[in-house]
Amino acid sequence: MSQSSLYNQNAKLGYSTVAINHVIDFKEKKQEIPKPISPSELLPSLPIIPGKLKPIKIVTRLTLVVSDPSHCNVLRATSSNIRLYDIIAVFPKTEKLFHVACTNLDVDLICISVTEKLPFYFRRPPVNMAIDRGIYFEVLYTPAIKDSTMRRYTISNALSLVQICKGKNVIISSAAERPLELRGPYDVANLGLLFGLSESDAKAAVSTNCRAILLHGETRKTACGVVYTMKKPQPVEEEEETLPACKRAKTQV
Amino acid sequence: MSAPLRRLRETPRHLLVCERSHVRHERSRHAARVRGHAYNCRVSFLIPECGVLPEPLKSVTTDMGEYYLVKNLPLHELVAQEFISAFVKTGSCYALTYNTRIDQDNTAALLPTGKLILSVDKDTYEELGLQGRPSRYSGKKVMRYIITIDLTDSAFHSDSKKYKRVLWALRDKKPLEFDFLLSWHHTGADGSTLMSYFSKHQIQAHQPKITFSTLRNLQCPVLCSNELQGKPEESCSAQELFEWLGAVFSNVELDNKSFSFVSTYCCPEPSTMMDQAYLCTITGFILPEKIIQLLDQLCAYFDEPKLAQWVTLTVHGFADSPVSWRENEHGFQKGGENLYNFVVFRSLDYWLQMAVGANDDCPP
Repeated sequence: MSQSSLYNQNAKLGYSTVAINHVIDFKEKKQEIPKPISPSELLPSLPIIPGKLKPIKIVTRLTLVVSDPSHCNVLRATSSNIRLYDIIAVFPKTEKLFHVACTNLDVDLICISVTEKLPFYFRRPPVNMAIDRGIYFEVLYTPAIKDSTMRRYTISNALSLVQICKGKNVIISSAAERPLELRGPYDVANLGLLFGLSESDAKAAVSTNCRAILLHGETRKTACGVVYTMKKPQPVEEEEETLPACKRAKTQV
Repeated sequence: MSAPLRRLRETPRHLLVCERSHVRHERSRHAARVRGHAYNCRVSFLIPECGVLPEPLKSVTTDMGEYYLVKNLPLHELVAQEFISAFVKTGSCYALTYNTRIDQDNTAALLPTGKLILSVDKDTYEELGLQGRPSRYSGKKVMRYIITIDLTDSAFHSDSKKYKRVLWALRDKKPLEFDFLLSWHHTGADGSTLMSYFSKHQIQAHQPKITFSTLRNLQCPVLCSNELQGKPEESCSAQELFEWLGAVFSNVELDNKSFSFVSTYCCPEPSTMMDQAYLCTITGFILPEKIIQLLDQLCAYFDEPKLAQWVTLTVHGFADSPVSWRENEHGFQKGGENLYNFVVFRSLDYWLQMAVGANDDCPP
C-alpha cells in the first residue's frame, strides 16, 4: 500500500503530525466536497516514531483552488462537509482573490504558487492583515525536488513572500505523493534559510507555526476560541423517570 | 536580497572553550568540570603509539558501572519522600528521560545535587500549575518553560505546602509518565536497591557497550603543551586538534585522495605518522565519577616511559538532555552537541576543550 509506506516514511524521518490534503479545483465541473477520511480507516495502526513513544498523529486538510469570487461561497455554507476538516487552505489565483483571502475568508492557510511565475505581486497591507488574523502562508518544496525550473520559481516566489512578510507566519510543507519526495524536518528547516528565513523562523516554519495552524483550525469549531460545545448523548431511561415527577408536581399544584 | 545570502554564509552559532592547566596543580578544575557535566552518553579515549591496553586501564574500562532503564515511570515517584530519603540524600542519583526530544516533547532530569529539572512545552506548563521560567532559547513567543524543583530543600518535607503542591500537580493535575535512565552512585550500601525499589515497574539493568580498535598508519598532529594557539611550523592549535579528533572518530580518510568525494579534510601540519593508535569507545549512561577514575588512570599511563606524547579523552553528552554543565540550559536547534575533550600530555599538563551548539549557554 503506497499510502501506508508514505506514513511510515514520515514517522521514520521524525515528523510527529501529518496532514492529509484533499484538493478541490473549482475550474472543473461540479465539484462536491467529500467527507474527510478518518485516519483509523486508512491504517489499522499508526506507525510509532522511532526515538519517541507516541504514534504519529494524522489530521485532515482541505485545499480550495479558487480562481473566481463565486468559488468562495462554499466556505460560508454551514451544512457542507467543510466543517469536518481540521485545516482549511485556499489557493488564490488572482490578486483580488488573494486580497479577499487575507482580509475576509475564514481559512487557516494561504498557499503560494511555486510552479509558475507569480501572477501578482504581494503587497504589504493584505499580508499584514493576514498575519494579524492568524493566517499562515504555505510554501511547498516537493515541486522543487522534481524539476529545476520549478526550483527557480519556488525560490524566487518564496523570497518575495518572505521579503514582504518579514519571515513571520510562514510554513514549509511538502505535497508529497510518494515516500521518495519527503525530506527530514531539519533539512526542510535548512531549506527555509534559502528562502530568506532566519534560523529560528526556519525552525518555527516546521514546528511551532504548524501547531498554531492546528489550534487556529480548532477555533473554527468553537465560539471565538473560548467556548466549545459538544452534543451530550441523551440517555433514554432518564426521560421515563422524569415524567412521573412532572405529573406529581402538577397534582401538587 | 543580500540578507539571505549573508545568512547562508554564516554557520550556526557554536562555542568552543579551550583551557590549559596541570593535573596536579592545586587550583586545577578538571575534576569539577567532569563532575559538572552530569549526563554522558559516550566516552572515547585515544592512545597514540599503543598496541595493547595496559591492565589497570582495561580493568577501569570494563568496570564502568551499570545503569537502569525504567519504562512508564510516573514522574511523581521521583518526588516521593521514600525515594528522596533512600537515594537522593544518601548518594548521587542521576535520572534522565529516555526517548524524548528536547525541542518537541517534555523532558525531565534529576541532577546529583538533588534538583529535578523539567523542560516542558507551553501546553503542559499551563496545565501543570508549577512555577517555572521561560526557556532562554524560545524566542518572542515562548514555547518552552523550565521548572526547577529542589528535592533536598529543607522546606520540601511531607507537611509543607510546597511539597503538597508539587505532588498534587505531578500526580493529580497532569500525571506525566516517562521512560527513565537511572543510575545511583553511593559509597557503602548495596547498589542493587534501585532495582528492588522499582521492581513494580518494568526495570532492566544494562551494561555500557565497549568497543576497542587499533588504528594503523594514522597521521597525527604535533602538539606543544605550552602553545594552545599553536606555533606555525612547530605545533598545531587546539581547534585543529579538535577537528582532527572528530575526523578520526568518524573514520574519515585523512589523506585527501583525488578520487574521494566524501571528504577533503587533511591532517593539520605539522604532523607525524604513527604506526598504531588504540581507540576505545564506551556507550551508555556513564557517571562522572567513573570518568574521573578513567582520567586518573590515563594520567597514570605516563608513570612509565611511553612513546606517546599525549593521550585524549572525549566525552559526549546526550543531545536531548535539558542541562549541559551544572544547570546551564541545553537546547537542540539543528544539533544538540555538548561535549568535552581532555588532552593529557606526558608532563601531565592538560588541555580541556568544551564545545556546545546553538541553543546553549556558554560552558563554565
